[in-house]
Amino acid sequence: MDALSFEGVRHRYPGAAQPSLAGIDLRIAAGELVLLVGDSGSGKSTLLRAAAGLVPHFHGGELHGRVTTGGLDTRSHRPGEIATVAGLVFQDPEAQLVMRTARREAAFGLENLGWPADDVAARAQEALMVTGAARLAGRATDRMSGGEQQRLAIASVLAMGQRLLLLDEPTSQLDPVAAEELLGLVVRLNHDRGITVVIAEHRTGRLFGDVDRVIALDAGVLLVDDTPQRAANALAGRRPWLLPPVAQAHARAGSSELPLSVREARRLTGDLDVPPLIAVPPSAAATPAAEIRRAHKRLGDVDALCDASASFAAGEVTALMGENGAGKTTLALAACGLLELDRGRVDRDGGAGYVSQNPAHHLLHESVADELEYGLRNLGVDSAERSARVAVELDRFGLVTVAKQHPRDLSSGERQRVAIASVTVMRPRLLVLDEPTRGVDGRQKLALAGLVRELADAGTAAVVVTHDMDFAAELADRVTTMADGRVIRDRGPRELLATSMFFASQVGLAFGCVSVSEAVTLISARTQAVSRV
Amino acid sequence: MKPLPIALLAAAISLVAVVAQNPLCLAAALAGAIALLAASGGSRRLYVLFAAGSAVTVFVLNPFVGAQGLTVLWQGPPIPVLDTQVTVEELAFGAAAGMRIAAAALAVAAFVRLADSDLVLRAVARVAPRSAMITALSAQLLPALERDAAGLVHSVRTRGAEIRRPRAAATLLPALLGMSLERSLSVAEAMEARGYGQPGRSRAPERRATAMEWLVTGTATAALAVAVIAIGLGATDFRYYDTLDDPFGRAAELAAATLLVLLTTAAGMVRWTR
Repeated sequence: MDALSFEGVRHRYPGAAQPSLAGIDLRIAAGELVLLVGDSGSGKSTLLRAAAGLVPHFHGGELHGRVTTGGLDTRSHRPGEIATVAGLVFQDPEAQLVMRTARREAAFGLENLGWPADDVAARAQEALMVTGAARLAGRATDRMSGGEQQRLAIASVLAMGQRLLLLDEPTSQLDPVAAEELLGLVVRLNHDRGITVVIAEHRTGRLFGDVDRVIALDAGVLLVDDTPQRAANALAGRRPWLLPPVAQAHARAGSSELPLSVREARRLTGDLDVPPLIAVPPSAAATPAAEIRRAHKRLGDVDALCDASASFAAGEVTALMGENGAGKTTLALAACGLLELDRGRVDRDGGAGYVSQNPAHHLLHESVADELEYGLRNLGVDSAERSARVAVELDRFGLVTVAKQHPRDLSSGERQRVAIASVTVMRPRLLVLDEPTRGVDGRQKLALAGLVRELADAGTAAVVVTHDMDFAAELADRVTTMADGRVIRDRGPRELLATSMFFASQVGLAFGCVSVSEAVTLISARTQAVSRV
Repeated sequence: MKPLPIALLAAAISLVAVVAQNPLCLAAALAGAIALLAASGGSRRLYVLFAAGSAVTVFVLNPFVGAQGLTVLWQGPPIPVLDTQVTVEELAFGAAAGMRIAAAALAVAAFVRLADSDLVLRAVARVAPRSAMITALSAQLLPALERDAAGLVHSVRTRGAEIRRPRAAATLLPALLGMSLERSLSVAEAMEARGYGQPGRSRAPERRATAMEWLVTGTATAALAVAVIAIGLGATDFRYYDTLDDPFGRAAELAAATLLVLLTTAAGMVRWTR
């Protein structure tokens, strides 16, 4: 029996003009590990929700065709019944945790399904142990890091004992090590326990080569459904940003064979002629737009900042990196003057703007244009100047066509552009973007990188707080790393992203260079050299 | 803490706040609510601001929307719709109404902060087993509001607004509610995906109540009983119009003093437990 099947499935959300799924035919056999890729809005989340019965039972809309999950037809079985055969882990761990402590969270699904009271606690504890979350059992869920919360979310689903696991971008909020551990866990569950896994991911670097199948969606249509290698070849020309960075580099360099992992990339390429490492001088030497000196901040019972010092130079893009809970956001807020320090000082040359991890925090008004105008009104800018500056930002961020729309009616990518534009319209000298690539697809990331670079070239000190090594590699002039509330390194990107054990990007690991663009140049040069020989 | 003792205390305070008339009894309920919220620890600023703001608003507005009382304190110029004659009775009634609102709001806040939300959710699941949305809202709305409010304040401040100004604060309210509803929908969806609402729900064994929790339950029950009896016997009655009654009757004094002792003792025990 198939673990999951879609037969001629079409779905449209209530009030939507376009279908979210447009004729999906798909069979996933028991025990398969399937990677689901596609741009934002391509239908990945809808497909997973349809498999769990949430579409249409929770979200409504029109559903045509048949979805069968673990032998249950979702038309006649509600999500609660489908929960006995399939578990769904959502993208945002915070928005899926129901109970206050981890132990109760892991028991929640078991209680709902009516497991005998004596078994509930034992199974919940076992699931926490399998996922490496046993030490979290007594902890409050709102005190956990994103990685811990996501691990708990998976444990809570696993405890219910389903044979089909559906994961919707589970690593989008995790630091590289936590993401690596979580994906390793998913692969282990599939290999060792035979659990069927369907996982939607934007960061495909770690997983692409390990799965049985890759399914790519585009505007609700199946674009590719094949083995990883053949899927990579099919996507290379049409959607290269969906591939792992090493494959992207080879595809852009015109290689006929695409590596899917660091190991394959090394085998294919051998040693590249990477330019020697040049140490970048400390950023204090450049003109700082903001300088933080010996900052201390205690939040609750945690020292969020401990003697942290950093400097952000005008005209540079700084990637601020570190594991979950390292103090990055606290430092960013302090740099922008949004957080009072217990000790230490912040010196800024000009205004500062902070764009939060959640773009919804910036959406307060009835239209996009009003949203952009709000900050300028507060600054006392006159009407003519306001209109001119809003028009420039709408154009720069590609928001002209949605200027009159309500910001909350926009797509996630558009919402994020509105949030950034609502701050950049004020022309701050220091601009901090906190986790701007959360849930953002490869194409949008490239566009975002271009915008940030443009702002930096115009003299802004841009700081990007991120876990996304590949994004930082493409964009950063400098990388500042944090751990336990301290700034531990402040270096050029090559010194960290190409060589660090924790922070290395995939092309850094494979080729010893920083970005995909650099890797493309090196691979092309090597190919030409080989052909000359 | 187990929800039952906190729910009983909140019920006693709310009952007095809603039904009792005598200002001494209302003051006792307000004092009990303050003591209970103080026992919860952590940041309570948002709740206190909301309660105090509502109370002051009612106190200030009441003389201008009511036209009762015989003891005139001040006569203003005629303004259409508004009553510009301020009487002592109107001020007293406004103060009492403010105390009612503040006591009830603080009692609810104390319940949200002190009661174990997991056990509250389980209790709601018994009465609304099919409605994940209601349950998610009841368990998540206020804590989520707190978290989202912090994010919104950063967004507004980074865009040059001072949140202390009422207009800036008002801008946040629709966004805050919108975000909390969106989040509650996500939680409700996650609950459905994990089988919430299925028949035959079981319950993992829970810890037994501690001796102190039993003591608080006993004290809270006593406070609730005193409130019911005092209201039933008319000990909390009071007349604001046309002229004020004397609040210092023996029955009212006894009811207020007993309530004050029981509520603050219970709050002290809650604090000790934590």
